[in-house]
Amino acid sequence: MSQANQIKISFDVQEACYVCHGEWSISNLAGLLTEFKQIPTPKALKTIINGKNISVFDSAGALAIIRCMNQLNQDKKEVELKNFSPSQLLLIELVQSQYTSLLYEPPILKSENILHRIGEEAINKLNQADGVIVLIGDLSIKLFEAIITWRRFHLPNIVSNIYSAGIQALPIVALLSFLIGVVLAYQMGLQLQTYGANIFIAYISGMAIFREFSPLITAIIVAGRTSSAFTAQIGSMKINEEIDALYTMGLSPTELLVVPKMLGLVLVFPLLIFWSDVFSVLGAMFMSKTMLQVGYVDFLNRLRDSVGLKQMMLGLYKAPVFALIVSLVGCFQGFEVQSSADNIGSQTTKSVVQALFLIIVADAAFSIVYSWMKI
Amino acid sequence: MPKSAPPPIIEIQGLKNYLGGAWVHSDVNLTVNKGEILAIIGGSGSGKTTILRSLLMLQKPTAGLIKMFGQDIKSLSAEDTDTLRRRWGMMFQHSALFSAMTVLENILFPMTEFTKLDKQFTHELAMLKIKLVGLPKEAAGKYPAELSGGMQRRAAAARAIAMDPELLFLDEPTTGLDPHSARQFDDLILFLRDTLNLTIVMVSHDFESLKKTSDRIAFVGKGKILSVEPIAELMKNPDPLIADYFSNL
Repeated sequence: MSQANQIKISFDVQEACYVCHGEWSISNLAGLLTEFKQIPTPKALKTIINGKNISVFDSAGALAIIRCMNQLNQDKKEVELKNFSPSQLLLIELVQSQYTSLLYEPPILKSENILHRIGEEAINKLNQADGVIVLIGDLSIKLFEAIITWRRFHLPNIVSNIYSAGIQALPIVALLSFLIGVVLAYQMGLQLQTYGANIFIAYISGMAIFREFSPLITAIIVAGRTSSAFTAQIGSMKINEEIDALYTMGLSPTELLVVPKMLGLVLVFPLLIFWSDVFSVLGAMFMSKTMLQVGYVDFLNRLRDSVGLKQMMLGLYKAPVFALIVSLVGCFQGFEVQSSADNIGSQTTKSVVQALFLIIVADAAFSIVYSWMKI
Repeated sequence: MPKSAPPPIIEIQGLKNYLGGAWVHSDVNLTVNKGEILAIIGGSGSGKTTILRSLLMLQKPTAGLIKMFGQDIKSLSAEDTDTLRRRWGMMFQHSALFSAMTVLENILFPMTEFTKLDKQFTHELAMLKIKLVGLPKEAAGKYPAELSGGMQRRAAAARAIAMDPELLFLDEPTTGLDPHSARQFDDLILFLRDTLNLTIVMVSHDFESLKKTSDRIAFVGKGKILSVEPIAELMKNPDPLIADYFSNL
């Protein structure tokens, strides 16, 4: 059975013609043409291709026959097809009539030179900056309008954003903060131990946690979770023409989508940082107790006396800025999506990367400002 | 090989589907013969697309027997299933062309995945499909988003026939096209059936298209196939559901 199905073209010397066997279908054609080339070309001026034994014949088979015929024509041979069924001949004829356009190669897009690309990217970035400014302006107008009419704050929307961006993030923030606290106390403890200055662990880790680590860890988690979610949500709404639907109804997507997201995040972000503070300190306490034998009560007393509420507030002041960065970047990249599913993915990546980038820049700016103010 | 009557391409017996808390199909029976164009019609929500999805093995039926090319699809090994899947082509309602690839690459994709043919040959073969579905050759280098709706359908059809299938499924091939493009697409369906010896199963609402292309029409309603007959006879069918369907034309 398999022997009969095997595709073959061979030259029958007695009959002085090519004989085709088997299934001339796309899945069987591999290697056929090289096989054909190895057959020595017959001497006679006129050759015959006999299709009597072909069991299955599709358009790929027809194309293969034509390739064989073309090769024979190159050798100045006349070719005649024999024993092909009418439908097979029809297919061959059809392929033959289109053959010239089959050789068409689509033009290859040539890549622009480096200067062109830099210029293009610069214009792109300028346009993006322009877009962000427009969004901020729009957002400010909507906010002021909303202060006049309370209804326009869309409270349920804000609450649902608080839930998804804040409450659902509590476990992961807690876990990661605890681990950071442990790691931090361990690294510092190693050094303190050598000086016998164990009790300073409370001061050092407290300062680091309150001022830098908690806000940053929280911001990184929120940027990863929430900024990507904002982009994906607004992006898919845009592809689905839901954004256009809002415009046609005379409603503002900024007011309905961006304002609640931003307000929700601004409200919940300080709470998340505080939550992170608590668990980082717990982690540090745990490590101090097991490694440095600093008791929980001693640790907390020392923390209150040497670090105090003021340092914690310095960390919390960063919250609104980080919240604005995450929500603005997330929403802006969502509106940038252009009608294709691929685009949502790349815009989401962009939104997370840009949000992280801006968060770290903002954090550095805070450090500079704090050092100017000598706090 | 014995020359008796060829077995039906598709045979569905007692297909039942339970989806989202409701019975979509209670008892579907249908056979599709070689070389025919069978259309599946019915009101919205009657489960036309679900039948198609069951046939394509995109969805496991709750109960019932489905035979494709004489093989029971439930009892196939993974390898046989893959082989079976290469014997049909599907054109989705919204084209489902891969947006990151050009039209030519879309058509080349199954060929390069499944065969060991050389590049020049697959290129010519893919261009042949593009010409067969009536696209200009310049469309080859374009991305799906750069094509009009009608051209996207044609490109999707070209990809569906890339592997020279014996069976072609079309899900609402003319919906959303302007009448002129829709009629041209009907011609294309007939042309493909005749030149490539295809069997075609399509879901359609387009009355003109049904009249022009279909050999038989299966009417789906109440979870069953209510009737399978040519359109002229179906329109005279006394069943209230069928009569209602055609009453507003």
